[in-house]
Amino acid sequence: MVIIVGLETENKDIENNMQEIAKGLLKEKKVDVIIGYKKGTLPLLSQPIIIDKEEDVDKLLWNNLCYVNLAKYLVPRVPRFVDSEKGNLKVGVVAKGCVGRGLIHLASENKINLDEITIIGIPCNGVVNRQRVEMEIGEKEILEVSVLGNNVIVKGKDFEKEFPFDEYMNELCKGCKIRKPSLVSKFPDLCVGECEEYSNIVDEFDDIAEFESKTPEEKWEYITEALSVCTRCYACREACPMCYCNLCFVDQNKPVWFGKTTDLPDIIVYHLIRAMHMAGRCVACGACSLVCPMGIDLNFINRKLEKIVKERFDFTSGLDPDTLPPMVDFKMEDAEEFMLEED
Amino acid sequence: MTEPIVETKQSESKEWEPKIIAFLCNWCSYAGADLAGVSRIQYPPNIRIVRVPCSGRINAYFIIKSLTDGWDGVVISGCHPGDCHYISGNLVARRRFAILKELLEFFGIEPGRVNFMWASAAEGERFAVLIRKATEIVKKLGPNKKFEKKW
Amino acid sequence: MDEKILLKDNIGKLYSELEKEYKFYAPTKVKGNIAFSRISNVEEIELEFLNSKVPPKDVLFPQKETIFEYKYEGKDVIIEERKDLEDKLLIFGVRPCDAYSFKLLEDFFAFGDFQDEVFLKKRESSTIIGIGCNNPRQSCFCTSVGGHPFQKESTDVFLSDLGDKYLVEAVSEKGKNLVKKLSWLSDAKKADIDKSKELAKQAEDSFTTKFNFDLVTKVLDENFEHPVWQEISESCIGCSSCTFLCPTCTCFDVIDENDEYNNRGRRIRIWDTCQSCLYTLETSGHNPRPEKIQRCRNRIMHKFSYYPSNYDCVGCVGCGRCISACPVNNELRLIIDKILEIEEKEKGEKISA
Repeated sequence: MVIIVGLETENKDIENNMQEIAKGLLKEKKVDVIIGYKKGTLPLLSQPIIIDKEEDVDKLLWNNLCYVNLAKYLVPRVPRFVDSEKGNLKVGVVAKGCVGRGLIHLASENKINLDEITIIGIPCNGVVNRQRVEMEIGEKEILEVSVLGNNVIVKGKDFEKEFPFDEYMNELCKGCKIRKPSLVSKFPDLCVGECEEYSNIVDEFDDIAEFESKTPEEKWEYITEALSVCTRCYACREACPMCYCNLCFVDQNKPVWFGKTTDLPDIIVYHLIRAMHMAGRCVACGACSLVCPMGIDLNFINRKLEKIVKERFDFTSGLDPDTLPPMVDFKMEDAEEFMLEED
Repeated sequence: MTEPIVETKQSESKEWEPKIIAFLCNWCSYAGADLAGVSRIQYPPNIRIVRVPCSGRINAYFIIKSLTDGWDGVVISGCHPGDCHYISGNLVARRRFAILKELLEFFGIEPGRVNFMWASAAEGERFAVLIRKATEIVKKLGPNKKFEKKW
Repeated sequence: MDEKILLKDNIGKLYSELEKEYKFYAPTKVKGNIAFSRISNVEEIELEFLNSKVPPKDVLFPQKETIFEYKYEGKDVIIEERKDLEDKLLIFGVRPCDAYSFKLLEDFFAFGDFQDEVFLKKRESSTIIGIGCNNPRQSCFCTSVGGHPFQKESTDVFLSDLGDKYLVEAVSEKGKNLVKKLSWLSDAKKADIDKSKELAKQAEDSFTTKFNFDLVTKVLDENFEHPVWQEISESCIGCSSCTFLCPTCTCFDVIDENDEYNNRGRRIRIWDTCQSCLYTLETSGHNPRPEKIQRCRNRIMHKFSYYPSNYDCVGCVGCGRCISACPVNNELRLIIDKILEIEEKEKGEKISA
């Protein structure tokens, strides 16, 4: 359990440091543009913002509502990051741990050139589980969200409710071991701000051990119930920085592999195959769950993916751009306990 | 086009027999199956064989599409690690199989519907033994109802 | 007086009487969200709700719908049309914005030479019981598109929530017949009608979001290539949540599913979205809208420029679902502001919407 002391003071510190660094980078022309977060128009949201002037640095903010994985805007590069004469601009990215992981993993897949990026590391203290808060407030409009001590205060027209932050954090944030972006020795200028050198990530994965002890019938029941409301809008796929295929498997029509309807088998298969494609690539940012319009919690699948690659291949995505991801690598000694063998 | 699940049409048999699709790599497992046939080694007739050049050709799509189309079980067989005709195809495949097996189990699809094995061209007897084992496992699990699309 | 009173305690009685004749759809709680589903007992109805996550267009135009089924008999192919299109439906608890969206959907599906029978037959067999909004949300703006939180026009029967009872007003012929059947409803008193009018005024005054859409249409028509679209589409990730939750979005994809083993098949339609890069992809490989900016622009143009040209009204009902759904908060109000800024800069004065 992570103990958070004085959430608002922490947020203020993070924000001030981040703004200082951003200002410095723009002043010294180390970057051409910076992408970060700014205050949203609805209480539980924030917006991504791209700035290129020092005066705009005050708009950058850090609160526990910064959900979007900014690595998404690098692959494919949004037009603002490309200049017709200069080519790719140098981009500074305000990165919490998972955003940094996303950038480094995309570099290991040769989709980003780390020479063109500067990571402004911030020590993320977690994001609020927006869907859970909204569902608990129910059918009343939320007008204001603020932080007091270690609680998130949610106010409406005639109600006020306190949510303890460490309980109402996004599920992935609760088990997060990589809160700051990783330092990359090959690129000493890559990381400014708060970054960390990770030697060995230790994760017990207790949260899914309990789920795994259920019978297949119970697991199927839980999963089908959780996914049954899926409307196949593909918001999860679009929000994920790792989903950059030109033609997604589900859109293929030569041949058509799987159905696109909301029939239960089609829904299960879509999420199953997408999880397979994410093995060893998911950086556990939780954007997929947080953008789902129906509020499906895909986080437990992401945690399982992290567990599989950690236990089988001792791999954690997004720490080193030179390590080959597990699915493009192989070793003679790989475990094969699951193979059918003679008695 | 997706092909929804159908009830297996039973002709004369009174007991339900599983339908299992087997993806066999051309150089080792397919030859092994051939050897079993030539040596008159009996193994259950429930499998329908699809020949692929290497177990590394197997995509998760083939396996999952087999399940959604109504096959009760899937068997994938390749060369032993180190003996692949294309040097490392089966090593690449082994990692994919591991991930898929763990995810299928996580989703609550009965482990046992999808089986992976190694069988070389000289191992006709072994091939038959493992197919027998796989058929028994799938038979115990019963028909594949989870991916049935109700119209 | 024609107006009646329905006590909230008597919803059960209303349900048990009507469900004999109609398929009864009402707001229910599905995994934490409000959704319009067919109910099998009165406890499932949620009366305290702001609005559903997925709009009630889902009842008449579901995410997946069978158009027809076919089967082979020897060499013949027999097509089985849907037989349930004339079943009577009752949708209870529709907000005025969503009720108005049914009119826009009707206009769309009946437009031109081809009448979409699957939708239109169901629409004809459906009865809408609307409920007025006592507490419009900050993101609602129905008054800017010619709507009103207590607008009765597109409903058959209109209810006003007076606390422990509803004021019942029959609006259409269908509605009048329905209210006549419910002869046990008590008559309304003048005080009830006055209360309803007061609530309507309160709701109308509470709107914080207002737009002048005639001006927006004019500016859009003149500025298709304006650089403002770059700014507007910058943070959009193309997730298509806005189109999936929009009451007036009608795009769909048609798929054939074949079941050779059982000698049958079906043609279905599923929701599609203009925000997907495959939406305009042609067989040749050419794509008229390959960039995100073009797709983002298309949605706004469709709702606020093409719709007025084709149907003489704005293609938006002001429900605000796209505003709450957008995960990057690239919301409609900000987009409209940026568009109106073009006009401001041209005229050199502030536009008051």
